[in-house]
Amino acid sequence: MYGKILVATMGEYMDEIIDHTVDLLHGRDAEIIAIYVVETSVPFLTPKKVKEMMIDELTARGKEILADMEKALTDPDKPHITFRSIMLEGNPADEIVKTAEKEKVDVIVMGTGKSIVDKHLLGSVSEKVVHHAPCTIHLVRTA
Amino acid sequence: MSVGDILIEIIFLIGALIVSLIIVIKSADVFVDNIVEIGSAMGISQIILGVTASAIGTSLPEFGSAMIASLSGSAELGVGTVIGSNIWNIAGILGISATVAGVIATDSKGLKRDALAVLGTGFILIFFMLFGDIDWKASIVMIALYLVYLWMLIKAQKDYAKETNEDSDDKDKKTKISKLESINKKQAALALLGLGGLIVGCRILVYSGTELAAIAGIPEMIMGLFTLAIGTSIPELVVTLSSAMKGLHELSIGTVLGSNTFNILIGIGVPALFMAIPVEPLSLSFDAPVMIFVTLLLIGLIKAGGNKLNRVGGLILLATYITYAVLRLYVLA
Repeated sequence: MYGKILVATMGEYMDEIIDHTVDLLHGRDAEIIAIYVVETSVPFLTPKKVKEMMIDELTARGKEILADMEKALTDPDKPHITFRSIMLEGNPADEIVKTAEKEKVDVIVMGTGKSIVDKHLLGSVSEKVVHHAPCTIHLVRTA
Repeated sequence: MSVGDILIEIIFLIGALIVSLIIVIKSADVFVDNIVEIGSAMGISQIILGVTASAIGTSLPEFGSAMIASLSGSAELGVGTVIGSNIWNIAGILGISATVAGVIATDSKGLKRDALAVLGTGFILIFFMLFGDIDWKASIVMIALYLVYLWMLIKAQKDYAKETNEDSDDKDKKTKISKLESINKKQAALALLGLGGLIVGCRILVYSGTELAAIAGIPEMIMGLFTLAIGTSIPELVVTLSSAMKGLHELSIGTVLGSNTFNILIGIGVPALFMAIPVEPLSLSFDAPVMIFVTLLLIGLIKAGGNKLNRVGGLILLATYITYAVLRLYVLA
C-alpha cells in the first residue's frame, strides 16, 4: 500500500517516528525519503551575521539527524527499505508539502509535536502539513 | 505653547525615537557585517572575527547611545540605558523567550563562564560606584577586563573548533589567500556608512529621549532605564527569542549574557574614559543591586531546572521585571 514514504523530523522523538514508519511497512519493500528543513526565517532587525550563524547551526544539526536516520533505517535487518534523504531551506511545512507533491509519496509520517500550550505559542508544522498535504498522513503521537 | 503644540511635539519626538532606533540597529548591523568582511580580507582569523562580531553585534546600540548620551552631557541617560538593558535582557528577554519557547537549555561550561562574567562585572560596577563618579582609572580597568573576557571567548571557540576537527589554521590561511584581493571600496564605504548611521541615529535617539523626558517631567535616568534600554535591546530580543524557538539554546542564552558583560565594561567603561560618569544614589542602592539580583535569580532558576530555564522560570523572571518596573516608576520615583 505504501511504497514511497516521506518521513519528516526536526530531531525530536526520532526513535518513535522511525519505529512507526518501519511498522507501517510490515516488511514490504518501500522507499523512505527523510526530510529535514532548515528554517531560514528570522524576525526583522536580526543581525545578518547572527542569521548566518543560525542557519549554519541548523544545517549542521539537520545533517546529524539525517545521518542518524540513515543509520537506523539502513541496517542489515531492514533490506526491504531503500533510503534517501533531502535537506532543504525554507518554511518547514511548505517544503514538506512541496516535496510530498514533487516526489508523489504515498504517505507522510511525522510527529504530532508539541503540547497544546506550545502549539498556541509556537505554531505547529504538523497542523499546517495536515491542511495542505496531497496524500495520507500518519501522525505519530509524540506529546 | 498650547496643549496642541505640546501634543504635536510629543508625537514628533516619539516618531523620531522609533525611526532613530531602527536606524541605529540597522546601522550597527551594516557596520559589524562590513567590518567582519574587511577583517577577514585583511587575514584576521575567522574565529576572532566571529566571536567579536557576535559579542558586540547586538550591543552596539546600547554602547552608541551610552557614549553619545555621555558626550552630550546626559550621562545619567547613558548609565540608565546600560543598567536598564541588563535588567531587561535577563528578566524581560529571557523571561519572554523561556515562556514562549517552553525551555532554554544551557551548556553548563559556557554558562558558568558567561554567568560568572556577568555577575563579576556587576560587582565591579558597584565597587566603582561606591567611590562616586566613575572615572578614567575605573575605565581602564573595565576595558582591560573586557579584553581578557574576549580573549577567553576566542580561546574557548578555538578549543571547540579543534574538538570538532575543524582545522582552523588551514581555514584561516585559505581565507587569507582567497579574500586578500577582495577588500573593496564598497565594504569600506558601507562600514563608514554604518558607523555614520550609528552616530547620527544615536544622537537623534538621545535627543528625542532627553526632550521627551523634559516634556513629560520624568528623570532622564528613568527614560534610560526603560525606554532607551528596551529599545536598544531589540536586537537581543529578536535573536534570543527566535533562537530559543528554533532550539538554538546556546545562542539564545549566550546572546543575553554576552551582551550584559559588554554593556557594563564597554558601555560604561568607554564613555568613562572621556568624562567622569556621575553616579545617582538610587542607581547604587537599587538599580545596580536589582541587576545583580536578576543575574543570581537566573542562575538559581537554571540550576533548579537541571541546567534548563523552563517556562515557570521564564514567568518568574517576567514577574520580577514587572515588580522592578512598578517599584522604580511608582514607589521610588
